[in-house]
Amino acid sequence: MNFETIVFYFFAALMIMAALRVITASNPVHAVLFLVLTFISASGIWMLLEAEFLAITLVLVYVGAVMVLFLFVVMMLDIDLSKLRIGYMKWLPIGLGVAGLLAFEMISVLGYTGSHKTLTVHAADYSNTKELGRLIYTDYVYPFEIAAVLLLVAMVAAIALTMRRRKDAKSQVIPDQIKVKKADRLRIVKMQAETKE
Amino acid sequence: MMELLQSLEQMGLDLLGPLWLPIWTMVKIMLIVAPVMLSVAYLTYAERKVIGYMQIRIGPNRVGPYGLLQPIADGMKLFFKEIIIPSGSNKFLFIIAPMLGLAPALAAWAVMPFNDVLVLSKVNAGVLYIIAMTSLSVYGIIIAGWSSNSKYAFLGAVRSVAQIVSYELAMGFALVCVLMASQSLNLGEIVMAQKGHAGFLNWFMIPLFPMFVVYVIAGVAETNRAPFDMAEGESEIVAGFHVEYSGMAFALFFLAEYANMILIAFLTSIMFLGGWLSPVPFLPDSLVWLLGKASFILLLFLWFRATFPRYRYDQLMRLGWKVFIPLTILWVVVVAAWMQTPLWVW
Amino acid sequence: MEKIKNFFKTFLLYELVKGMAVTGRYFFARKITVQYPDEKTPQSPRFRGLHAQRRYASGEERCIGCKLCEAVCPALAIKIEVAEREDGTRRTTQYDIDLVKCIFCGFCEESCPVDAIVETRVFEYVGEKKGDLYYTKAMLLANGDKHEAQIAKDRAEDAKFR
Repeated sequence: MNFETIVFYFFAALMIMAALRVITASNPVHAVLFLVLTFISASGIWMLLEAEFLAITLVLVYVGAVMVLFLFVVMMLDIDLSKLRIGYMKWLPIGLGVAGLLAFEMISVLGYTGSHKTLTVHAADYSNTKELGRLIYTDYVYPFEIAAVLLLVAMVAAIALTMRRRKDAKSQVIPDQIKVKKADRLRIVKMQAETKE
Repeated sequence: MMELLQSLEQMGLDLLGPLWLPIWTMVKIMLIVAPVMLSVAYLTYAERKVIGYMQIRIGPNRVGPYGLLQPIADGMKLFFKEIIIPSGSNKFLFIIAPMLGLAPALAAWAVMPFNDVLVLSKVNAGVLYIIAMTSLSVYGIIIAGWSSNSKYAFLGAVRSVAQIVSYELAMGFALVCVLMASQSLNLGEIVMAQKGHAGFLNWFMIPLFPMFVVYVIAGVAETNRAPFDMAEGESEIVAGFHVEYSGMAFALFFLAEYANMILIAFLTSIMFLGGWLSPVPFLPDSLVWLLGKASFILLLFLWFRATFPRYRYDQLMRLGWKVFIPLTILWVVVVAAWMQTPLWVW
Repeated sequence: MEKIKNFFKTFLLYELVKGMAVTGRYFFARKITVQYPDEKTPQSPRFRGLHAQRRYASGEERCIGCKLCEAVCPALAIKIEVAEREDGTRRTTQYDIDLVKCIFCGFCEESCPVDAIVETRVFEYVGEKKGDLYYTKAMLLANGDKHEAQIAKDRAEDAKFR
């Protein structure tokens, strides 16, 4: 067992433990933090696969931005934990059924393609990022652009659905506030000084 | 210096074999962390002195000659103070939050090049690594704010996190320009891409000047420094996310803030000011230039704090989203087009 | 035209640079800090610090127990009890000033017909307990005896403005 295998099992164990805690933790904030830990250990495993660009992007995008917003929302929720536990046993069979189905699907998909590939080890100056960029913008340019457009559409739709302009609400117009110059507001008046009697 | 380090490494390798590698790495980490911590301490001193001088005061001058032992005295004081854990707080998260704040600030130094050979880890995606690490420092703040179980702390955390997440985008786009200009993600190579015969005219500061300004300002916002220190806004929310902290736990937040400042200053010097390269062709490149440039950026940070009043939160968000992000995206397009023309000489 | 000028001023951060030039200039200005225990700011002869009771040159205490100061004191910090002394003069048996209440307005000094109660230049006094700042007649007289030279000099200097 070499060093890399030890590191792999460490991250894998950490990831499984954290992923389990995500669904078992009673406090939603703890669950989100465990999800963060899951992402970080996943990024560690990707790092072992020499996918350093993807690994760092995972941390940067998911941990650094998406999960922060998640945490944000979850922290502001006012959740009554005891209420959530009601009906646990009632829903357990359905939950187990869905979980089993998901597991079956994933195994059938991954088991089908999952022949053990050996990693090609590259030289130290091999740039993963450059290769990825080359592939995305040549061979996979259409899927990539379509994915980008899909995300944009989803974003526009979400904003269009939730945005409403209240007519009775008053708000400040910051550009106008900032544009104000000294000359617009201040008038310096020259006055005769008071004389001493 | 370098020969000494190399001979030391060889000696250890002969003596301890494979065990030497982790030890030697620890030594190298200490060689980076210890000076960073020392500069953090003296940055607080410099801040008090510079701001004092700008306010026609003289700043700390009682502890030691010219008050030079003041940061050490402050550190001792904080070290011996009790860490009060508020009742109703989440103890584990409350304790771990300051560590989560400081650790990424220090971890980011791993890929920082000090000259063409002096770097702990030559990571190809060094810039990405640093952006990822700085984005992780948000967790220290938000966990601190939430686990304190205090309204002021939570408000401060929310403000701070929204601010950091917003300004990270502008910072990221500003860096994209640098990456395009240098054609590399490696910090050492970014510096070498700024090498040329014209001295400081070869630095990316010249073609990317708007990005340089955006990066410095976004850096101030990113580190929650004045005039963007709404996270602490003592006149509005007492002290923000660290109201409930005392003693060494508070000191860790302090260390993290200043370590982040130093990090941003070094990054700015490396990305835009040519790192360790000399500004004039007839002087040799050296580490001293890098330190000098970083010190200048740090002085700017302090100068800002002494000059500008605190921003209003909605104005801050407007600046980030409606000014900086469009500006940086525009400049990405400009640089991309510019690089296709023969006018691009960098 | 003005709009274009303002546009460039905004993007070149003209106003920010101007502000920084001001603070930058003050960086090199002469510092006005007074290093307190080593240096002290000059005091006016009208300085209103710790109270004292004065005596005449003969050693007789000035206070005649008229209670004007007690009446005028806005903070009700002065407490006076009066009795006749063996020689038939009206004297105070008790004259206390609670310095915790005192606001150092100087009205007692103004109202005194015989210049008995005065405020001295002393401002560096401490009390470790609240009671320590409750000055009795004996303490006030001792203060007066201690600082008489300075008190007399200040009164003489200020006399022409009264």
